[in-house]
Amino acid sequence: MTDKEFIKITDLTRKFKETIALDSINLTIQEGELFGLVGPDGAGKTTLLRTLAGLLGISSGEVRAAGCELHKNTETIKSKIGYMAQEFSLYGKLSVLENLQFFGEMYDVPPALQKERIPGLLAFAQLTDFTNRRAAKLSGGMKKKLALACTLLHQPPILLLDEPTTGVDPVSRREFWNILNDLHLDGTTIIVSTPYMDEADRCSRVGLIYQGRIAICDSPENIRQKIEGEFIKIVTNDWQKAREVIHPIKGVLEVQSYGEALHILVDSSTKRLGQIQNTLQKNKLEIMEIRVIKPRMEEAFISLIRKMGQTN
Amino acid sequence: MSFRHLWAVIRKELQHILRDRGTFILVLVTPTLVLLLMTYSLAVEIQHVPIALLDYDQSPTSREFIHQITAGDDLDLYENATSMEQIEDLLIKGKIKAAIIIGPEFSQDLLAMRGLSLQIIIDGTEPETGGFAVDHIGWRAESFANDILADQILTSGISLDSLEPIDLRIRSWYNPSLKPRIDIVPGLLSIVLGFPAFSVALTLAREHEHSTMEQLLATPISRIELLLGKMIPYIMAGLVNVIVIPIIAIAWFNVPFNGNFLEFLLLSAIFLFAELSMGMIIGVFMKSQSAALALSFLVVLFPGFFLTGIFFPIAALPEMARMESMFLPGTHYAIITRGVFLPGIGMDTLWPYAIMLVILGTAFTGTAALFFKKKLA
Amino acid sequence: MIRRILALVKKEFLHLKGDWWLPAFMLFGGTLELLAIGWATSRPITNLPLMIWDMDRTAASRNLVISLENTGVFTLTEPAESMGTIETMMDQGKINAAVIIPHGFSSEIETIEGHPVLQVILNGAESIPAREALRAVEGVVRSLDEEIMIDHLGIDPDLFKGFDFSLRVWFNEALNEAYYTTPAELALMLEFTILIFAALTFSREREFGTLEQLLVMPFSSLEIIIGKSIPVILVGLVDFTLMLGVVHFAFHVPVRGSVFLLFGLAFIYTLVELGKGMAISVFSKSQHQAFLLVFMVGMIDFLFTGYAAPVESMPKIIQYLAYLVPAHHWLNIMRGITLKGSGFLDILPDILFLLGLGGVIGYFSLRYIRKALD
Repeated sequence: MTDKEFIKITDLTRKFKETIALDSINLTIQEGELFGLVGPDGAGKTTLLRTLAGLLGISSGEVRAAGCELHKNTETIKSKIGYMAQEFSLYGKLSVLENLQFFGEMYDVPPALQKERIPGLLAFAQLTDFTNRRAAKLSGGMKKKLALACTLLHQPPILLLDEPTTGVDPVSRREFWNILNDLHLDGTTIIVSTPYMDEADRCSRVGLIYQGRIAICDSPENIRQKIEGEFIKIVTNDWQKAREVIHPIKGVLEVQSYGEALHILVDSSTKRLGQIQNTLQKNKLEIMEIRVIKPRMEEAFISLIRKMGQTN
Repeated sequence: MSFRHLWAVIRKELQHILRDRGTFILVLVTPTLVLLLMTYSLAVEIQHVPIALLDYDQSPTSREFIHQITAGDDLDLYENATSMEQIEDLLIKGKIKAAIIIGPEFSQDLLAMRGLSLQIIIDGTEPETGGFAVDHIGWRAESFANDILADQILTSGISLDSLEPIDLRIRSWYNPSLKPRIDIVPGLLSIVLGFPAFSVALTLAREHEHSTMEQLLATPISRIELLLGKMIPYIMAGLVNVIVIPIIAIAWFNVPFNGNFLEFLLLSAIFLFAELSMGMIIGVFMKSQSAALALSFLVVLFPGFFLTGIFFPIAALPEMARMESMFLPGTHYAIITRGVFLPGIGMDTLWPYAIMLVILGTAFTGTAALFFKKKLA
Repeated sequence: MIRRILALVKKEFLHLKGDWWLPAFMLFGGTLELLAIGWATSRPITNLPLMIWDMDRTAASRNLVISLENTGVFTLTEPAESMGTIETMMDQGKINAAVIIPHGFSSEIETIEGHPVLQVILNGAESIPAREALRAVEGVVRSLDEEIMIDHLGIDPDLFKGFDFSLRVWFNEALNEAYYTTPAELALMLEFTILIFAALTFSREREFGTLEQLLVMPFSSLEIIIGKSIPVILVGLVDFTLMLGVVHFAFHVPVRGSVFLLFGLAFIYTLVELGKGMAISVFSKSQHQAFLLVFMVGMIDFLFTGYAAPVESMPKIIQYLAYLVPAHHWLNIMRGITLKGSGFLDILPDILFLLGLGGVIGYFSLRYIRKALD
């Protein structure tokens, strides 16, 4: 393992009763990467993160992190990892400060350093005014920020975050990601799972996990480019009918619905744009918008997943 | 073992005990309440047992007899019955616990020394009252007969005091009048002082239910640090009880305390270690608070009551139950509390029990640590 | 409405299947416990360690020792050689009683009008066995007295008949301990089971926030209550049947009265305790608190049922309070029907109390729950 291969996962498999939760996962994360993990619910994001955090056992395979094998040195590695669970609940009866101090102690942060770092963390989490408030009395967004602060207190080189921004208001979400970026620039290796595609876009690399397997692992641009074809977006007055009539057109590879709009994957936009327009008009459908768009992560993933579903 | 980790967990748990109403009450208030309640209702001296009398003789002698029987506080005359049916009815309805039927030839039979023409019927459905009634009625009848027959016995040339040749000298140590309250209280103490074990069983399950367990497991804390850290605060709270509750027992119930208090404190700490680690094992296996509590009732509370020799002497238990009781810290602690309070013995006699408790505590804690995996699954 | 209630009941059972351990636990745990404790406590007191210091060592003293052994109440320990041994053993609680036979015991017996002395020391730290021990020793002494008087004093044995009376024990002729203890233990277990179940059923929804889910659906609060109550009632009745079986088959406690009446009243009792459980759940903010309250209430009730000590012997105030405890009446009813063969009229007062208490508890808890739900 080279120095740059900070986290190396080889053939990681985890079976739980009859289900294969993780199926021969191979993944190498470089030091300082900001790696995004996406996938539908139940695909295995949380399982993978928990395994990396040492909370679940492995059936076979190997995980090496920061130079040690994870499952032989689980407890020592934990001090190098900051893990934030999806349902991270804090100790309700303890105050914000007491919660931070507790985790500081658990991660062996010397009291002097705690004193130094805590004010900064409180400031970033905008909890300075709530320092002595019982954690149970914080709003959902504040709780998540406090949770992140607790994870950062010991300045671990590796951060594992399980859907850290779910349930957080958009403004706070953006602030969160600013922090993550700062940490990323500082050299922290971060693996973050997220259901939000725009967040996936901000990562250095993204891994799509589907049914326990890594379907694709690449930089966001490369993934978007992997899609063969182009997307045409149309907005009509009856999207269901539109979808029906467009599907059979030759050259239409996929039709994805987004509310009122349809994103149509075609082999060539120049060839098909006119055909689609004609078909819609023939069927007395009113066209409110029709143009070529660049595929976003969302489209790319839905397309990839559908393809994988078909091959299965 | 890192004392920082240990202390952090202890501190957090202490804060919880002080700030969570439910836990606070369970650990620090309930024991006292239960002690008071139980002492008042269990350590009861039987008196005022309701009885009925059916007098077929209706003679001065029988009326004198009736008078003697009901003279004291122990037996209360509920009804002077007039028929057997009435007696049956009263017994069935539970209005009386015993009945005396005085035969039609009572006084004649008695004076002719043909015997006491009495029939005593007792309700066998209640444990103590039946035996109590028989004893007390029997004593009174006997002394009545003695009085009446005194003259006749004298004339046959026997002195009265040769009627009971053996001089039986009875002494009761530690509790001269055999007052149940005095000896039950130390026994009850050993039960109520073990209450923090319930909270210990709950504390692990609570972390699961409140979703903080996952985060806790991700930190480098070791199993022993976590388990001990969660147990020690409750030992501390338990020791507070050890100081407060005996004071209540001594002051309120006049139970004598003849032993050495510091030794008692030490022995109690060891007991708490053993008993609470029993709660810890339950906590390790149960993921929900309700399950933990239910199991602790079944394993700690009920056996604690019945098998530790407080209400039922261990000697009288069947072999298997006796073996089981050896594994309960409460059994050994009951001997300790009884010994410290009443006879006032000390460490020099009680050390085997202390050793036993240490062994049990270590075994239980070790088992808990063994089965407690720092994994979610 | 019935259909909606049935849907709720079905949901509760499905829920239960996921958490099947709880009812299984309570049912089997409780029944096993009853079996174990009933067995342990239904035995008469025997094997009490007795230490004897025989300073006489004659045939007479040895006979006395044998008589004491033959009572079946005692197990003899190593004979004592000094007071010190007795003191140590007594202090450590290793013996329940000690008997000291002084030197000259036998010769005193031979002497006409002699007074042989016998010392009994009881371990007052355990007063219950102490009384048993005393009773046994007094019995032995009494027979020995009679022997002495007949053999040595030449008193006519018929004199003793003058002190005999006949004793009949009703309802429990063999003085079977299990008859005393197991019905009471059954009542206690049943109450605990129903209370825990009821309190949990209602407070669990609140804690997990699924209550809001329910309220959004087209159920009336009454329907929710009934729907949730039915599983509890079923569990209560199954529990009762199981435990009655144990008590009857394992401990031979008869059911001399009407079985139908017994089950009918068990049903009513279940309803009453259900009401109590609901009330408890209203007052608790979490499952933890619910359990706590169940525990406290259960303990209090236990004491008032007269299980360990008869209610008449308690202070008057406590006696009145006992009437407010449903379990007290239920125990009377149970003892009545099983052991005394009581009929409906015999236990009428207790039935009325039960109904009355049930009505009051039920009314209040229904009102509170409806308020909480609405």
